[in-house]
Order: sequence, then structure tokens, then C-alpha cells
Amino acid sequence: MVFDAMASPCCLAALGIVNALGSGERAIWPRLLAGDQSGFCLRDDFVPGRQLLLAAVREPLPKVPEELARFASRNNALCLAALEQIAAAVAEAVLRFGPDRVAVVMGTSTSGVSDAEDAIRALRETQRLAPHFDYAQLEFGGIAEFTAAVVGARGPAYTLSTACSSGARALASARSLLGLGFCDAVVAGAADSLCGLTTGGFSALQALSSEVTNPFSRNRAGITLGEGAAVFLVTRDSGGVQLLGVGESSEAHHMSAPDPEGRGAETAMRRALADAALEPEALAYLNLHGTGTPLNDAMEGLAVARVLGSSVPGSSTKALLGHTLGAAGATEAGVCWMMLDQSRDGSLEIVPHCYDGARDPEIPTLHLARRGEHTPPCAAPRVMTNSFGFGGNNCTLVLGREAVA
Amino acid sequence: MRWGVESHAAWAPGIDTAAQWQQWAKSPEPLAAEGIPDARFLPAMLRRRCTPLSKILLKVAFTCCEEAEERARVRTVFASRHGSINESIALLECVSRGERISPAIFSHTVHNAQAGLFSIAAGNREASSSLAAGPESFACGLIEALGHLEREPGRPVLLVTGDVPLAPTFAALIDEPACSYGVGLLLRAEGGAPCRVEIVPGDALPTAPPWPAAAEFLRFWLSGEPSLLLPGLRHAWRFTRG
Repeated sequence: MVFDAMASPCCLAALGIVNALGSGERAIWPRLLAGDQSGFCLRDDFVPGRQLLLAAVREPLPKVPEELARFASRNNALCLAALEQIAAAVAEAVLRFGPDRVAVVMGTSTSGVSDAEDAIRALRETQRLAPHFDYAQLEFGGIAEFTAAVVGARGPAYTLSTACSSGARALASARSLLGLGFCDAVVAGAADSLCGLTTGGFSALQALSSEVTNPFSRNRAGITLGEGAAVFLVTRDSGGVQLLGVGESSEAHHMSAPDPEGRGAETAMRRALADAALEPEALAYLNLHGTGTPLNDAMEGLAVARVLGSSVPGSSTKALLGHTLGAAGATEAGVCWMMLDQSRDGSLEIVPHCYDGARDPEIPTLHLARRGEHTPPCAAPRVMTNSFGFGGNNCTLVLGREAVA
Repeated sequence: MRWGVESHAAWAPGIDTAAQWQQWAKSPEPLAAEGIPDARFLPAMLRRRCTPLSKILLKVAFTCCEEAEERARVRTVFASRHGSINESIALLECVSRGERISPAIFSHTVHNAQAGLFSIAAGNREASSSLAAGPESFACGLIEALGHLEREPGRPVLLVTGDVPLAPTFAALIDEPACSYGVGLLLRAEGGAPCRVEIVPGDALPTAPPWPAAAEFLRFWLSGEPSLLLPGLRHAWRFTRG
């Protein structure tokens, strides 16, 4: 017998989260429920001569410890802000299982690009690299190595980077590492930071909206970029919020545009449901990828209508948190986690879908959640979150929790 | 856990054919830094979009997975320390000069650019991971591939590892053999020539060879040696044949 085919528990035991709406579940959850869009602000320091509306983290971030100075980037400081929130739970896991049995899987798409921009500017002006710049800040593997060093994990540590699905995929890989027996706990999540490269790149692709992103509206005009981090402690414990299903697919279509029919998105959703052994009607909520670009929302709407119909309440929380790119999958799994964590009788308070209310007649009618919506009490609420990335990389997750009696 | 290697393929400058790799495994030497494989197997439209790394990784992916039907069905893992970072560095240099970023180049700077190109070239709509873990990228890519096998043991997973030398801007900041290479392994849960991987805790790490870990695994695999110990950052990785 090579594999254990039995689905074993995959507990998302603790969440650390930071983004434009604040730091930690207690600060962020009420603002999400209220549909608070005050996290967006105009910045002119990323693309020369252009004011951009962005969902930046404005509070001070923790300082990367001196002994880890080679990892001192804004990206890792965001990661550290999230890690500090789960430090006690992670320390307990390291003690319980031993450091060799704790793994790290992180996601990022920017890594420390913002710090490399400074280094390159300094190089051009002074012909020397800034003494504090280290390649560990820029290379993709750096955030996983940094996280392992911060929490004292000595198991495998690597970084998934599949553009906007990175964060969701990190949780999928964490579950696999537990299933394979390479470890007994995983610190998994993602961080992404605003930088000139991504703001300039999306601006060049004409994908950025000049107003707050307006997903699924007929007036939608693109993405609003954001930044943040979300990290989980993942264990084989039962109870609590569980990762129940993973669905993945590739587009085989185009590097920066999804298949307009939404076939890749549909496959990812169907596979996630099959993996969780659920029928579509079992879902209480869908966190849409909902980037607010004409193409994404049109194809996602088609895919959702085919797989789930029009009754499951859904929202794109990118209209509250911005599109945090590589961190989006983990951040939005975090939104789902908080929704389940806040529930006692299985009734879910739904994070509203914030837009101008102008439905797009070209997109099948979806149930876009209004403020104050909640689902009826239920023994086992199940929720889904979609993440679709550049390069045609899709990952859908299903989370759930048994209601506390 | 046990898994099997169904086929393998590799490319480095001047070392292309199976016979040349057999020869290299008998008397290995550092791989060359510069070189680009012939990528005429790709349609011209896609080839134009390919960076040197993309040509290398797609070349070993297509050689390792010869049948078009299987190529469209495998799940893939692309493991690379640097990925498309050289293209990002070039764009950062544009940004630092206040120039506009080319949208076409920008969309190819994602770490999963090669996975995306493979998906398009092979018509592949399956699960795909792209990852990095510094000098441990190959071993971490392997356990990621085993994760895909665990999720669905009935179908193979293609693991592709490779890199090109880091751009001169930052090359002095790292200590590694500068080489252009790619190694592909088609893995199965059952079937293929069996192998195991274990993590060996402890600080007593073996010395790294003067070529990348994926090439060292290939040398071990072709040599017929019973086991291989590769250094990691916090532990070692042991591979055992059989």
C-alpha cells in the first residue's frame, strides 16, 4: 500500500492576517461585514506622474529581527505582522511535534521587489549596491526561509509562486505535505507588497481602475491593487475550521487573459467540490475571484452559473481589500476562515459584495450578497473561494466547520 | 513513501542527448553557464515569447513527456530558484530610469511563466505548481510532485527543474555554480523505476557538488548507485533506489 486514500482532517488551526483594513481578525472582521472601503488611498509614489488608488497597509509593521536582517523587506515585514498573531499556536506546535516536523509553505508573487527597486536605484546612482540589500529579499524562496527562521521550523520550507493563485495553492500544498507524512504541522499562507513593478506592469496592461474596483458591475473598469499577508497554522487535528477540498486547473489559453468561456475556472470549482465530496447546494458562501476586470468577471460569472447556479451568496472582497495578488488566495481563505470562526450555530454572516449595484446584463445573474445578509443555522457550513492567476493557473478551495452545539 | 521514475530528460549547453548524459554521469564536471537549446519543436508564436529559461524547461518537459496525449494530461511542477527573475530585474532597471514597462514582458515575469507556456504549448489544463526554495528547489519540487501524486495516484506528474545564471546585477550576492540547465522527471505513484525520499534531520550536511542538485540526482540515477544524500538548508535529503 503506497497511499492512504482516506481523507484525513486538515485543520486551519489559527489565522494571522494583515491588510488595508487592519491587523488581526478582531480589527478586520467587523470592517469586512460593514463593507468598509476606507482602506483605499491615492498614492503617487509607485508609477511616476500617475496617481493610483491602492489598498496599502498603513499601520507600522514590525521590524525584522537583526539576526534575520538579510530578509528585511517590506514583504517579509508584512509576513511577520501576520506570523506574530499566531506565534503562540505555532510555538505550541513546534514544541508538540518538534521543529523537524514543522514545515513551511508560503506564497508570494512580488517577494521583496519593492526593496530590489531601491537597491537598483541606488546602484544606478552610486554604482554600488546598498549594503543592506541581500538577494534573499528578492528571491522567491526567501519568504519561506524567513518564515521557517522566525517560527523555528526545521522541516521542508518552500514558496509557491503561481501569480494570483499562490496563496490558495500554498494551503493545498500544506495539506499534501501532511498527507504524505513529511511533517505534522505546516505554517502556510502568503504575503505580497505593493511595488513599482506590479503597479507599473498592471498599469501598462491597462488593467487598473481609476476608482475603487467595481466587480461584476457593467461599469467595472479594472483592478485596484492591494497588499497584505495571511498565514495559517495547519495540522491534522479534527474540529475547528477545516480545509475540505482543493480543485486545480490550468487554462492552456493565454499568459495574461483567462479563457472567456471560463472553462478553467469551472474545472477548478468542480474538482474542489468533488474533492470535498459535496454537492453545489451544500455551499453557504462563495468568495469570488472578482478582480473587476471585464474579462475575469464575465468568465467567472459564466463558470459560477454553470457549477453553482444563482443561489449561493457570493462576494468579491477585492472591493474591500484590493487585489493582493500572490497573497489574495490566502487572504480570501482568511475571509472564509473568519466567517466560519465567527459562527456559533452554523449561521454565517456574509461579507457583502460592494459595487455600484449596476448588474451587467452580459453576465449570468449571481447572488451578490447585500449588507446584513446571513445564512440560516446549519450543522456544517461549507464555503468556497476562487483564485485565478496569470499564466492560467487556477485554484479553488472549500473550507468548512462543524457547528458548535 | 515510494514512487517511480518513468522517464527522465535533461539539457545543459553541449549535453543534450541521453548518450551524452550517460557520459556526463560517468565523469561529471561543472555545467556551462551560457547556452540555449533549439526550440523548433515550439510554434513560432510561442517561441518568440520564450526566454532562455523557458526554452530550456519546455525542451526537457517535451523530451521527458514524449507523447502529445500524455503531455496534455500530466500534472506539472516547475521548480526553479530564480525563475524569471532576470526579466524582472531588467524591468526594474526600466522602472529605475522612469521608463514604461512593456506589458508583454511583464506578464512573462511571473514565476509560473514556464508552467503557463507549457500549458499553452501542450494544451494542458491540469493542476500545476511553480515553486522556489533556494538551493533546495529540486528536493522541494519533488515533494510537491509527490503531493500531486498523493491527491490522485492514478495519473503521472511531470517535475521540471532548471535555472539560468542570475543577472550580473545581483550575481555577486549569491554563491552557487552559475549554469544553464534543465532536468525533467516523469513520476508515478506506482510503476516506473522505484525510489524513495526521506528528510534526514541534523546539522551534519553533505557537501554540495559543483553542479545543481537536480543534475546530481540525475547523476545518481544514471550511475546505479543505491542512495544519494543531498544537502538542504536545515536538514539533508536522502534518495534511495528500489
